[in-house]
Amino acid sequence: MGTLWQSLDLLPLEEPSGDVRERFYEMLNAYRQGLASAEPRKTFHRWQIAAAAALVAVGIGLGYGVRGYGHPPVEVSQLREEVASMRQLVALSLMQQQSASERLRGVSWAYRAEPSDREVLEALVTAVNHDANVNVRLAAVDALRRFAASPETRRAVIDALPSQTAPLVQVALIDLLVDFKERSAAGVLKTLAANREVNDGVRQQAQWALERLQ
Amino acid sequence: MKKLLILSFTAALMAPAVLPQDAQKATVAFSDPSRSRKLVVEATFGSITVRGYSGQEVIVEATGRTGFRRKGKEAEPPPGMHRIGGNSPGVEISEENNTVRISSGPSPFAQADVVIQVPTQTSVSVTARLGNAITIENITGEIETNNMNGQVTLTNVSGSVMAHSMNGKIVASLNSVTPDKAMSFSNMNGKIDVTLPAGIKANVKLKTNHGDIFTDFDIKLDSTAQAPQVEDNRKKDGRYRVQFDRGTTGTINGGGPELQFTTFNGDILIHKK
Repeated sequence: MGTLWQSLDLLPLEEPSGDVRERFYEMLNAYRQGLASAEPRKTFHRWQIAAAAALVAVGIGLGYGVRGYGHPPVEVSQLREEVASMRQLVALSLMQQQSASERLRGVSWAYRAEPSDREVLEALVTAVNHDANVNVRLAAVDALRRFAASPETRRAVIDALPSQTAPLVQVALIDLLVDFKERSAAGVLKTLAANREVNDGVRQQAQWALERLQ
Repeated sequence: MKKLLILSFTAALMAPAVLPQDAQKATVAFSDPSRSRKLVVEATFGSITVRGYSGQEVIVEATGRTGFRRKGKEAEPPPGMHRIGGNSPGVEISEENNTVRISSGPSPFAQADVVIQVPTQTSVSVTARLGNAITIENITGEIETNNMNGQVTLTNVSGSVMAHSMNGKIVASLNSVTPDKAMSFSNMNGKIDVTLPAGIKANVKLKTNHGDIFTDFDIKLDSTAQAPQVEDNRKKDGRYRVQFDRGTTGTINGGGPELQFTTFNGDILIHKK
């Protein structure tokens, strides 16, 4: 290696030959000339401006043509629908997971669904009635608030009450009926309050709810 | 691969001379130690303790509490007869698809206190029906508990927790939490006392029908929630107390996954670690 560097050192230094300088100035000159001839182009001719404007107009026209004439809300609502269905998909698929923590996340996604989304509503009702984890059921009861406007929701809450096995979930369902001011629940609440096999706390809460709903 | 073994207490029951604390021990390996592990425990009677340790296998130790069987003469076969079966479902252990399942049968004769040691990084799910306490220590993973009667204690755990007890208090202390995992703590009767890492990001949901909610976290409450009473004594004795009417929502450290606390009869305490 050392000998290689030594022999490289012995090579003579390359000196620039005389015509390098000449060629450089030739190039510089040519560049200046080119620049000078290009300068006038900076100003646009009228016809160029007109052509550009025409092209823009054609573009806008084509745009409208492709999308359907003059209905911008269609696109916006389509986008909204897509977002809603994406949220529905996330909520529904998470609620199917094996991990209880993931299902709880799915339930919290349900808050972002459209209040008219029947599939998410059904999934929540299924979770309230059948999810193996009490905490997921509790969260699902709470998420039903988003669907309060639908009579189906109220019906589902009333139906879920007697068959629910976890007292804490029963309490949550009772509280929800009170918040809904659902007077048609009185019958179910009376039965629950009178049933000695039902958890004491649940019976107390049912009694309290009956008084509140009167 | 499926392994099945049964720890039978019958032998102990048939020999009244052998008295309590005759622990039964069994060891089960996960079929693939490199993949994520899960332990599922379903107990009818007795207490359950799950403890993380540095080993790779599941070590199960069951101490039989025999109830009336051992005291009475029923354990003795009638004259001229011998036992051929019955009473056997003690603790059943099986392994399939990297999940170890341990269950104690519905027979009160199988009443047992079970201590299970698992590798620290294991997801754990424990359900106890008529038993006592569920205790989980030194575990990192997804932790799920469902207890009917006893208390739930989680010490030195990390990951995510879904804890429910019907009639027992819940005391949990988490060293760190998995980001993006939802968590929930609930019971019907008894306090919920949870210690969380100071930096936790969460959307909190709190509900108690008959109790107070206390925290030293700075929980930013949603404006739509009913206005709670706030006692700020952080300058005096460092105690920050928030009292809510029934339920409310808010965020910790800017918000994050769902963090839910629900109780009917009891206080909720959320401590900052």
